[in-house]
Amino acid sequence: MWEKLRDDFYQNFIVDDRWKYITDGLQNTLKITFFAVLIGILLGFLVAVIRSTYENTHKLKVLNWICGVYLTVIRGTPVVVQLMIMYFVIFSFHDPGQVFTAVVAFGINSGAYVAEIFRSGISSIEKGQFEAGRSLGFNYAQTMWFIIMPQAFKNVVPTLANEFIVLLKETSVAGYIGLQDLTKGGDIIKSRTYSAFMPLLAVAVIYLVMVMLFSQLVKVLERRLQRSEH
Amino acid sequence: MSINNMEKPLIQVQNLGKKFGEMEVLKDISVDIYKGDVVCVIGPSGSGKSTFLRCLNRLEEPSGGHILFEGTDIVDKKTNIDKHRQKMGMVFQQFNLFPHMTILKNLTLGPVKLQGKSEKEAREQALKLLQKVGLADRADSYPNQLSGGQKQRIAIVRALCMNPDVMLFDEPTSALDPEMVGEVLTVMRELADEKMTMVVVTHEMGFAREVATRVMFMDGGYFLEENEPGEFFANPKNDRLKLFLSKVL
Repeated sequence: MWEKLRDDFYQNFIVDDRWKYITDGLQNTLKITFFAVLIGILLGFLVAVIRSTYENTHKLKVLNWICGVYLTVIRGTPVVVQLMIMYFVIFSFHDPGQVFTAVVAFGINSGAYVAEIFRSGISSIEKGQFEAGRSLGFNYAQTMWFIIMPQAFKNVVPTLANEFIVLLKETSVAGYIGLQDLTKGGDIIKSRTYSAFMPLLAVAVIYLVMVMLFSQLVKVLERRLQRSEH
Repeated sequence: MSINNMEKPLIQVQNLGKKFGEMEVLKDISVDIYKGDVVCVIGPSGSGKSTFLRCLNRLEEPSGGHILFEGTDIVDKKTNIDKHRQKMGMVFQQFNLFPHMTILKNLTLGPVKLQGKSEKEAREQALKLLQKVGLADRADSYPNQLSGGQKQRIAIVRALCMNPDVMLFDEPTSALDPEMVGEVLTVMRELADEKMTMVVVTHEMGFAREVATRVMFMDGGYFLEENEPGEFFANPKNDRLKLFLSKVL
């Protein structure tokens, strides 16, 4: 039995340097996740601010409407379909590279979810905080920036972290546009060696370890943020 | 009735009205508030007294009328209300300290960001005021580590750090445990002694009687009676005020 496992391992990872499919794929997965998270935060923040401002002051009506459409469309369709549309339709005339396409698609997708997370965070802050800021003489934007946002952010850290874990795992569909991410890497090995056990298990373990590491990191961050409110 | 009747009023409320939808909460109110006045507004809940106070710094948008603060009509949409709010300190029933900042940061945020003071300058002023209310040792604490009475004293100091010309108090002791009411009233009393102009919505009749220069009774969106405190409590004229006083005294 050990003999068999060792041979399996050798065939799947050592021969022809097949382990490189895994490490190259992992690199792409991390790259896509990292940049998509950045875009997601930026976009989500922007949309959340627009939506909250509209809710509070009834200004930015047109922008708010655009944001509404964005949220509906993105949250109402599967991310794989969005990814394929991005690659085969929107970027069909000019291929900017699969990784770039994936970053844009996943970033835009994530932005919609992050926006709703931020918005719920903002509306979870009691009205008195806002009034206290305004009564001191801060304008709307300053009150948001100095008083509401820091508290809102603190409240949404766990939910936000969860969204990024989901995003990391969702990038596993990147193979649909021929991108070699971690999942696709394992899949390629499988198609070479005709054995599924080792490569797929390895892929699963790597995702799991990444998610667990990230969760730990978030816990530390949460504890540090909480220190100010006993 | 007021000490400086010759001067121009600090705040002139002219025909102020406020509607929430169909509900008319304030009906055509006109009041002058002079420098050094300590105006206590009393009345049953739902009478519009908090709304009146919140209109004074436009936290509540008036539906009609004018409020002249230091000569400027702050109801006018073209007025930069943020600028004028710096001169009108406000203290809330629920304290509304910023929980993510230390006490010191709560106190210096406004002066530093809005008045261009240096951190050092703002800190020195804040510490001096903290000392006065007996909370200098809590400068590095966070709001949630304080009692209600302490929080409210800090909230008063936060407003004072902006060097306001008038202080607005919206039921400052109503959310406090009974044994903490005294410490907050003491601070307010000291403020009054220093001739700070104050408008106080309150249920503390003792405070109104002893500290106020004028007491006003509001019900149904009107001021029904106004007088200096001695006469106000000893010889109320309005029937509704008589009824109200018979219940609360």
